[in-house]
Amino acid sequence: MSENLQEQEVIFKIKRFNPEKGFWWQEYKLKVDRFTQFTEALRRIKSEQDPTLSYRASCHMAVCGSCGMKINGEPRLACKTLVLDVVKKYNSNIVTIEPMDYFRPIKDLIVDWDEFYDRMFKVKPRLYPSKEVLEGKAEHRLKPEDQKELWKFAQCIWCGLCVSACPSVRIDPEFLGPAAHAKGYRFLADPRDTITEERMKILIDSSWRCTYCYQCFNVCPRDIEPVTAIKKTRSFTKLYKEKSEVAERGEKHTEAIFESILKTGKIAEAAVYLKTYGILQSLVDLIYMSKTGKLKYALVQERYVQNIDEIKKIMGGESK
Amino acid sequence: MEKIEYDAVIIGGGLAGLMSAHEIASAGYKVALISKVFPTRSHSAAAEGGIAAYIPGNSDPNDNPDYMTYDTVKGGDYLVDQDAAELLSNRSGEIVMLLERWGALFNRQPDGRIAVRYFGGQTYPRTRFVGDKTGMALLHTLFERVSGLNVDFYNEWFALDLVTEDKRVAGIVAMQMKTMTPFFFKTKAVVIASGGMGMLYRHTTNSYINTGDGFGIALRAGAALKDPEFVQFHPTALYPSDILISEAARGEGAILKNNKGERFMAKYAPKKLDLAPRDIVSRAIITEIREGRGFPGGYVALDLTHLGEEYIKERLALAYEAAKNFAGVDAITEPIPVRPAQHYYMGGIDVDIKGRNPDIVGLFSAGEAACVSVHGANRLGSNSLLDTLVFGQETGRAVVEFLNSSPHEPTSNFEKEAEKIVDDAYKFVKSESGVHFGEILEKLRDVMWDYVGIFRDEGGLLNALSEISKLRGMISSMYVSDKSKVYNTEFFNALELRNMLDLATVIAKAALDRKESRGAHYRTDYPDRDDNNWLKHTIAYLRGNTVEITYKPVKITRWKPEPRVY
Ligand SMILES: Cc1cc2nc3c(=O)[nH]c(=O)nc-3n(C[C@H](O)[C@H](O)[C@H](O)COP(=O)(O)OP(=O)(O)OC[C@H]3O[C@@H](n4cnc5c(N)ncnc54)[C@H](O)[C@@H]3O)c2cc1C
Ligand code: SF4
Ligand code: SF4
Ligand code: FES
Repeated sequence: MSENLQEQEVIFKIKRFNPEKGFWWQEYKLKVDRFTQFTEALRRIKSEQDPTLSYRASCHMAVCGSCGMKINGEPRLACKTLVLDVVKKYNSNIVTIEPMDYFRPIKDLIVDWDEFYDRMFKVKPRLYPSKEVLEGKAEHRLKPEDQKELWKFAQCIWCGLCVSACPSVRIDPEFLGPAAHAKGYRFLADPRDTITEERMKILIDSSWRCTYCYQCFNVCPRDIEPVTAIKKTRSFTKLYKEKSEVAERGEKHTEAIFESILKTGKIAEAAVYLKTYGILQSLVDLIYMSKTGKLKYALVQERYVQNIDEIKKIMGGESK
Repeated sequence: MEKIEYDAVIIGGGLAGLMSAHEIASAGYKVALISKVFPTRSHSAAAEGGIAAYIPGNSDPNDNPDYMTYDTVKGGDYLVDQDAAELLSNRSGEIVMLLERWGALFNRQPDGRIAVRYFGGQTYPRTRFVGDKTGMALLHTLFERVSGLNVDFYNEWFALDLVTEDKRVAGIVAMQMKTMTPFFFKTKAVVIASGGMGMLYRHTTNSYINTGDGFGIALRAGAALKDPEFVQFHPTALYPSDILISEAARGEGAILKNNKGERFMAKYAPKKLDLAPRDIVSRAIITEIREGRGFPGGYVALDLTHLGEEYIKERLALAYEAAKNFAGVDAITEPIPVRPAQHYYMGGIDVDIKGRNPDIVGLFSAGEAACVSVHGANRLGSNSLLDTLVFGQETGRAVVEFLNSSPHEPTSNFEKEAEKIVDDAYKFVKSESGVHFGEILEKLRDVMWDYVGIFRDEGGLLNALSEISKLRGMISSMYVSDKSKVYNTEFFNALELRNMLDLATVIAKAALDRKESRGAHYRTDYPDRDDNNWLKHTIAYLRGNTVEITYKPVKITRWKPEPRVY
């Protein structure tokens, strides 16, 4: 098996930072083998070559969420990434390591997580069971399939990689971000929880602020799929009374798409747009589109898909 | 120096510390919880297999808490305090149900009740689990619960030392890592729940942060460690990252092989083969490697390939994933590289069944940092998570009792004392040149692995003691090259090393003195258990450069020692 350790010298280019000196790049050479994780490479650099190098790591097995950083530009857990895998993928024995994007750097690869934690706590990340259960007078029975569904979203390790990769977090201060949504949904969907109304108030508006770009889905090391949690949270909108403008518009948008597909078998962009944003906003946007040359897409006449009845049948089976 | 006052201060945000915090805060007291990492990054997150619990009406109908106690006592090679083990078993169902009510997503049976699985050393199956990430699930549940209470969290704060006054707790000095500012926390009660110490050993399944700080803090304050010589090694840690490959793999039929392709366990344990107890398998693997039948780098092969893809993916998902992600090995077609690694610390701060240390009034300890003792000479799988919660809660309750009945107010001139602690910390790393922590650290880890590891003998232990004492001398000239005033990890690594060296001294001396083999403590020069002379707890103090050792009887309630044959 592993007689061939594939030992090889690798150059680690690390982006360093401290408040006194600002940013600089530093290079280290280290011999690694096919089993060496990035956390182990960093540990060896620190204890054998340069004790001033700072980074976070704890479990070395992808469960504590300490070691998020950018490796060759990709947001990764350093412990879950093998050095030679990256060398092979990029066909270069020079690898770069940088702090995660979005967060404020504190020291080398260590970034400030305070704002991230604030977001997580905003969603009240804990179960609020009934008084009877809390006092031990009643017992929870959770269906195995509910356990499975909730456990998927409960496995978030607060590593922050998804937030560092999310474009919406950067531009929309009202958006809670992917990790907080995963956490929030895990409790929103728990049949044992008693503050569903309050959770909807916290989560629903924000859930319509995600752009569905799937960055969070791509980077999450625990396969949480925060965007799926957001999608599922949106489906609670119809149960919620005090909808915000964003949520209402989002809901209309989805309805419009649904109707459009039901009618034509396709997403008729123009009709969907009109229904979502209303006449006035659509006109404003139309003028903008004609200026940018995008108008032609809005004016395309949609041809109905053949077998539209089949589609209607399928969609009718779904709960609307 | 900044000063802040609390009724109780807890060091450690793992399961044990959080559980204590919950109890104390729920009683209305003002609590600070200090942790050098954000709580969910504590080592408790890494626990995989599960937590043992007898739940009435939801256990094997033949099982009862007495069987659980018996299994624990026998597993611990009779060094277990039986009153403590009884408490552990009797409270197990209650504590697991409490975590369930707080939202822990335990795996379920089809009828919606909590599911159960077998674990090593159990007469009946009683391990409760959340997938293969039980520790993570429980830690997050408990942290989320406690974060909703009135507890002040000091995350990424490093505890330096205790301040005492007439053998009473007066406070603790800790430092915010981000700003490097020291604080004096004035308090009557301190709970040390700082976890284990795996980093003392070259090979360990533990987190990088498990440097045994709490042991150093307790020793320097004049508190004793109980049974410090008992260190557990797990036979199958993944090479080279030392990630745990669960015993379940061998339970499902995986075979250990040497570089000649031989199933070497046939030589060491002809009947039990690969499923012999942990200590025996660990010793066998090390022997193979030492005698040149290991693979380059020092490991043996754990072969699953004959089990087939479907079986492996269904029954051994975690072993498969770990091998794939962390060793780049596809266990379906190639064997997994494994070797033994340090795994758990049975020894710890000497406390009674309520978490109280007898040496210093107001000092408490819980979890892996404490020795109650429920694990004796060898811990059973899935009993440790249970220990953190049951004794975390007991300890929290004992702190409440203590605060209710203790009118004493620390009065002394603590400012000076606190300043001195910070000065001392800076002093030993103050020089402008000298050795770096890494040099000493790497030597220490080798010395511990080679001479205070799986096999021990007098010569090796004497050698270890003199090496450790040399290294301990070297830290006075240790030098921190990083002058940064934010998050100076080099400085904290140096402080961790000081704690590790204090602990190493005590472990090596206690191991030298115990002239028998019991559980995880194996002396090649005294290969048998000797109940006549050694059925007793070691109690060790560190006074300057000397270790002072006394003994304490083991509490035996109902189970008389028998030969430990499996
Ligand atoms: C790989 C692995 C798998 C395991 N699986 C199981 C299992 O399946 N079942 C089971 O029962 N047991 C298992 N164990 C054992 C169990 O996980 C641990 O014994 C237990 O989690 C210890 O919890 P704790 O609360 O005592 O300490 P930890 O969870 O280790 O917490 C220690 C805390 O102390 C803090 N701290 C330490 N030093 C300082 C300082 N100087 N200043 C401030 N804060 C400090 C840390 O930040 C941390 O928050 C496993 C262990 C390993 C290594
Ligand atoms: S899909 Fe939504 S939450 Fe995920 S990264 Fe994109 S905008 Fe952010
Ligand atoms: S959702 Fe995934 S990427 Fe985001 S913080 Fe949680 S574990 Fe990390
Ligand atoms: S070190 Fe824990 S996730 Fe990487």
